[in-house]
Amino acid sequence: MAHPLQLGFQDAMSPIMEELLHFHDHTLMIVFMISAMVLYIIMLMMTTKLTYTNTMNAQEVEMIWTILPAIVLITIALPSLRVLYLMDEINNPHLTIKAIGHQWYWTYEYTDYDNLEFDSYMIPTQDLPNGYFRLLEVDHRMMMPMESPIRMLISAEDVLHSWAVPSLGVKTDAVPGRLNQTTFIVTRPGVFYGQCSEICGANHSFMPIVVESLPLQHFENWSTMSS
Amino acid sequence: MLASRAFSLIGKRAISTSICLRGHAGVAKVEDYALPGYIDRRDIPLPQLEYIKNLSAEQKALKEKEKASWSALSIDEKVGLYRIKFNETFAEMNRGSNEWKTVIGGTLFFFGVTALIVIWQRLYVYGPVPHTFSEEWVAMQTKRMLDMRVNPIEGFSAKWDYDKNEWKK
Repeated sequence: MAHPLQLGFQDAMSPIMEELLHFHDHTLMIVFMISAMVLYIIMLMMTTKLTYTNTMNAQEVEMIWTILPAIVLITIALPSLRVLYLMDEINNPHLTIKAIGHQWYWTYEYTDYDNLEFDSYMIPTQDLPNGYFRLLEVDHRMMMPMESPIRMLISAEDVLHSWAVPSLGVKTDAVPGRLNQTTFIVTRPGVFYGQCSEICGANHSFMPIVVESLPLQHFENWSTMSS
Repeated sequence: MLASRAFSLIGKRAISTSICLRGHAGVAKVEDYALPGYIDRRDIPLPQLEYIKNLSAEQKALKEKEKASWSALSIDEKVGLYRIKFNETFAEMNRGSNEWKTVIGGTLFFFGVTALIVIWQRLYVYGPVPHTFSEEWVAMQTKRMLDMRVNPIEGFSAKWDYDKNEWKK
């Protein structure tokens, strides 16, 4: 989850999110360099006493300020496409979990082995146990095994929703009548929070997503106990 | 009452110190801007017209004297000839103004007004803050965040020393 006064991304809990962090660092550095240069040039323009009213041709500088931005764009595009293709790699998931969005809660279905299905509602603020996070906690978390590729099939029962967990680098729209697939691997055990990311009515801000990743043995225990 | 006096003070200052108003001082009246005109501009060092169109008798005499050798002219006569041709010197036309004080002062004044409005809104419009903002709850919440290792790599829990049970220095 986010911590107070946080400015950057949450720490990456999946390999794709790590790639996204590095790509963002790379691109943001380029953005800062360009902004600094533009700011410097603006300052120079505003504080010069020189004037020249007869500009006709500027062939050389036109060449430079066309070629250089093209190079910058290529420098950004190549890593970007690399991450994009990494996301689409075939990774042979060990487990398929379905997340269905409703107004205003999520349903998780684990139908690979047994028929395990449950709803996940937000815990209202007045019912929060001590020290729990306001507007983020749910009554039943989505459990999953760590270090295993997981396939998520996301859909919705009524209106558009979006299933998002920032620390895993996942955001997938839940469209009624459609199955959207996303895959990820969670590298660490822990509890990861997210919130519905597509406006879906009055309680759109009050249907969070909580993913808890466990070592496989513990996940199997939970799965057996719950179904 | 106070507000209207404050606004009129800022307004009058804004107009009187404005750079824009100075722009017209150096221009002789022209009916058609496309015809040759006079202007004091740093990037037009030699305007198309002389500044003074109708010379007085003295000025006419000076112009006659200009036709002879220039080393015969005194300093005051040279300045007189300059003032016939130009309205302001470069130093005069490029002088700074006090407009920046009006701008900064006016901006800060409006910041202050906004701050007053925001404070009033916090006191009279908004209800109480949720109970999860109380100090005890935030302490329990922080402990829970550290126990569950929120952002352990570079973020939150990375700044906590788990051996010494304190924030890293």
